[in-house]
Amino acid sequence: MNPSTVQKIIKEIESYTPRTAHVSVGTVSAVGDGVVTIDGLKGAVMGEMLLFEETKGKTLEEGTKQGAPLYGLILNLEEDSVRATLLGDVARVYEGMTVESTGRILSVPSGEEVLGRVVNALGEPIDGKGPFKKVTMMPVERESYGVIDRKSVSVPLQTGIKAIDSMIPIGRGQRELIIGDRGTGKTTIAIDTIISQRNEPKEKRPVCIYVAIGQKESKTARIVAHLREKDALSYTIVVDAPASAPAALQYLAPFTGAAIGEYFMDRGRDVLVIYDDLSKQAVAYRQLSLLLRRPPGREAYPGDIFYLHSRLLERAACLSKEKGGGTLTALPIIETQDGDVSGYIPTNVISITDGQIFLDTSLFNKGVRPAIDVGISVSRVGSSAQTKAMKSVAGTLRLELAQFRELESFMQFAQDLDKATAERIESGRRMVEVLKQGNGVPMPLAQQVVILYAAVNKFFIEVPVARVRECEAKLLEFFDASYSKILEEIKTTGAVSDELKKTLSLALQKFKGAHGELFT
Amino acid sequence: MEHAYAKALVFVIERGGKPLASVRSLVRVLEREGRMALLPRIVHAFKRLAATDSVRNSVVLSFAKKNTRVSRKMREALRELGVAKKDVRVEVDPTLIGGWRLEGRGTLVDVSYKKALLDIYRATVAQ
Repeated sequence: MNPSTVQKIIKEIESYTPRTAHVSVGTVSAVGDGVVTIDGLKGAVMGEMLLFEETKGKTLEEGTKQGAPLYGLILNLEEDSVRATLLGDVARVYEGMTVESTGRILSVPSGEEVLGRVVNALGEPIDGKGPFKKVTMMPVERESYGVIDRKSVSVPLQTGIKAIDSMIPIGRGQRELIIGDRGTGKTTIAIDTIISQRNEPKEKRPVCIYVAIGQKESKTARIVAHLREKDALSYTIVVDAPASAPAALQYLAPFTGAAIGEYFMDRGRDVLVIYDDLSKQAVAYRQLSLLLRRPPGREAYPGDIFYLHSRLLERAACLSKEKGGGTLTALPIIETQDGDVSGYIPTNVISITDGQIFLDTSLFNKGVRPAIDVGISVSRVGSSAQTKAMKSVAGTLRLELAQFRELESFMQFAQDLDKATAERIESGRRMVEVLKQGNGVPMPLAQQVVILYAAVNKFFIEVPVARVRECEAKLLEFFDASYSKILEEIKTTGAVSDELKKTLSLALQKFKGAHGELFT
Repeated sequence: MEHAYAKALVFVIERGGKPLASVRSLVRVLEREGRMALLPRIVHAFKRLAATDSVRNSVVLSFAKKNTRVSRKMREALRELGVAKKDVRVEVDPTLIGGWRLEGRGTLVDVSYKKALLDIYRATVAQ
C-alpha cells in the first residue's frame, strides 16, 4: 500500500470519534419515478438531505463496494410521511430501506480549485481529474441579497459580439435573457461571451459558469473542448445535468451554478453564469411536481414555477462596496416554439430579467449571424454600464437599423425609390454585414469601436455588400499594423475624444487610399 | 377514501375506543350511507396501517455476537427511546463486526465497528 495512503488512514483513525448521537430515521414505503415516500422522519426539514442506508445487513467488504453514498432531497412534508427526490440511481432503493436524516441543507463545493473543472448538479467532479481537496461548501438554496446590499449596474460585461455590445449592452450584475427557437445560435452567443472574457485583464476577468441543463452529453463535451481550445476553460466551470440525468438533478443544476458563483461574488469577484436552458429546467420541475402530486396549473406547470425562476435569477446581483463589490451576471436561455415569445415560461422569464436578446429564425436562415432581432431586443439597465467609446459611436445604430428594416419590407413592392431612401437602404445593408460575426471569434472593444465608427460614418458605402466583411477584416489588420496606438487608447481610456475621432477619420482615409480595389 | 376510513378507525381505537365496538359502528355508518362495498378495501388499508405502525414502533437491538452483555450506553439509549427492555427485539448481526446498533421508533443509534470502519474508509477515499 502507498505510504501516503497509510498515513491518511492513520490520521483518520486517530481523529475518529464514534457518533453515538441519536439519528432520526424513516423507512421507505414507496418508490417510483425517482420520488421516494418515507414514513417517519419526525422533525424533517424542507430541502433537507437524506442519506439512504445501503449497508444494513451487508458485510464491510460489500459496503466498501457500494460507491458514493445515495442521497435524497426532501421536497414535500406530509402528515405522516415525507416525499423526497432521489439524487442518484433509483435502482438502489428498496421498500423498507432505512433513511437517515442528515440535518444538512443541500450544499455544493466551490472555490479556486473548481475553476476549469466539469461538475455534476451535486458539485461532484465528472471530468476524471480527481476529487477536490480544499473547497468551501455553499448552500444550493440561499436567500438573495437585499436592496441595501446592492448598487446599480455600472461596469460593462463585454460579450465581444458587436450587435450586443453596441445596441443591447450588458452590465455586470445584470440578468439578460437569450431567447429564440432551437438552432438559432443561443448557446453560441453564450459561449462567445465566455471566450470574450479572455480579452479582459486577469484581475478584472469574471469567473464564468456554464450550466448545461437537459443537454446532450455530446453537445456539452463539444462545448468543453471548444472552451479548452480557445483557452477559456481555465476561468470557467461547467455544471452538467444532461438529458439522461434524473429530473431532480436537472432542476437543481441552475441553483448549483448560482451557489458556486456566489462563493466568488462574496469575495468581491465578478461572475458570469449561463443557464442553458431554463425551459428544460421548467420541464424537469413540472415532472417532479406532478410526481410529488402537487396541483398542476397552466400547461401542467406547478403554481410556483414563477418563483422557481425568480428566486434563481434574483441571486444575480451587483453588490455594494460594503459587501465587497462583487457581481453575478446571469444569462438565462429560453427556447421558444415557432418564435412564440408569449408562451408561459418565456413571458415569466422575460418579466423577471432586465432585458432580452431575441434570436430570429428568419434572420438566421437569411445568413444574419448572430441572428439578433434588434427591434425587439432590449437591455433595460445595460446602457448605464456601456463605455463612453461605444456610446459615442453606436448612439444612432439601433435607429438606423430599425429604419432600414422598415424600408426593406417596403422596398419589396415599391418600384421607384428616391435617392435618400436608396442610400439609407444601401447603408443599412452594409450595416447588417458589419454586424455579422463568425462563431467563436468575439471582438475586443477597441476593434468594435473602430469598425462601428467606420460603419456609422458611411465608410463602407462604396464597398460592395459582398465584400464588406473582407474590407472589415483588412481594416482591422491595417489598424493592428499601423494604428495600434488608437486601439490602445480606446482600450485604456474607454472613450473616443474629438481628437481621436479626427485621427480615426484620417486613418480610414489612408486605408481607403491603400485598398482602392475594395471601393467601387 | 378507504384510507381515510381506516385512519379514522385507528384514531378512535388509539383514543381508547373498544376495537369491536368501533368496527361495528363503522359498519353501521357504511350501511347507512350505502357504502358497504368499501369495507374490504377499508380492511386492506387498515392492515397496511397496522403493519406500518408495528414497524414504526418496533425496536431492534442488534449485536455482532451472541450473548453480548447490555452495556450502560445501551441502557441509556433505550431509556432515551422510552422502551422497556422486554419490548426490545434482540438480533445477532455478524456483519456489524463489533459494537451494537439500536433502531426503532424513528431513531437510530449505530455504534458498530462496521459503521466506524466505513466512515473512515469513506473519509480516506474522499481525500
